[in-house]
Amino acid sequence: MADDRGRVRILIADEQSLFREAVRIILSSEDELDVIGEARDGLQAVADAERLAPDVALLDADLPNCDGIRATRLIVERVPSCRVIVLSSREDERVLIAAMEAGASGYLPKQVPLVDLIGATRAVDRGEALVPPRMLATLLHRLIQRRRERDEALKLLAGLTRREREVLALLAKGEDNDGIAQELVISPETARTHVQNVLGKLGVHTRLEAAAFVTQNGILEDLVGVGP
Amino acid sequence: MTVRVQQDRPLRKPGVWLRQSDNENIVFDPETETVHLLNATAMAIWVLCDGETTPDEMIDAICDLSGLPHDVVAEDVRRILLRFVEADILSWGG
Repeated sequence: MADDRGRVRILIADEQSLFREAVRIILSSEDELDVIGEARDGLQAVADAERLAPDVALLDADLPNCDGIRATRLIVERVPSCRVIVLSSREDERVLIAAMEAGASGYLPKQVPLVDLIGATRAVDRGEALVPPRMLATLLHRLIQRRRERDEALKLLAGLTRREREVLALLAKGEDNDGIAQELVISPETARTHVQNVLGKLGVHTRLEAAAFVTQNGILEDLVGVGP
Repeated sequence: MTVRVQQDRPLRKPGVWLRQSDNENIVFDPETETVHLLNATAMAIWVLCDGETTPDEMIDAICDLSGLPHDVVAEDVRRILLRFVEADILSWGG
């Protein structure tokens, strides 16, 4: 959100200095918008965001040294007050979905007039989500699909015992049988049995698949402390 | 007229087509030769009327994306679906 004086502090990250300069001039033409930093790659963008704590970060999707999607995830994680708009060289549904899943508040193709960035910056600073209208249905479809997948995953979890959920949580953290045994104070053989049971109930064949099941569905927090 | 927004899955009327451009979203019903102009949200809901998605799922997804209160979004979705029904461009799955 804007500071006490109503000013919105902005970080721009793009490899091309000409683009950064153009965006800076456009945004700075507005009284309440302050460009406080410019980065030319993803790593610098993350570092600058941590150092400057901007209200809004405009990130190119194709930044070198840590692309805009990864940089978005890191910034949202480390500077939760900062809202991110990902800029893409063209309308690309995969980039849109990746950006929003990484925690971006908005997505804009670079084909939009530069002056549109003013409204976009204000909008995300107010807490709005910003998606090109033509891509809205695609994104909503994806959100619905993700929710369905998560619901299905939670149904599978309901079939696990409390101990099996603990084992799955440890699998997701990369523990092997010995690590699981040590953590849960059981024998490695018992740990192995639990692991086999978990894999069978989830319908997966490997520990890696089980770990991916947890991370892809975002259910690690649902694993421990619930159920019989 | 009431709109059932709990379990049923709205489905676009067969034969009705959507044309999107940068400036407008047009739904055309060749049976009645009627044109409907949709805003971005209505267009997104129209696309989600695929016979598989429930209104509740639409509402949850829009809430996730927009951060708007559930009641507000539910009212908007209900209103838009009602307009589709009134325009006779929607049917309902089970």
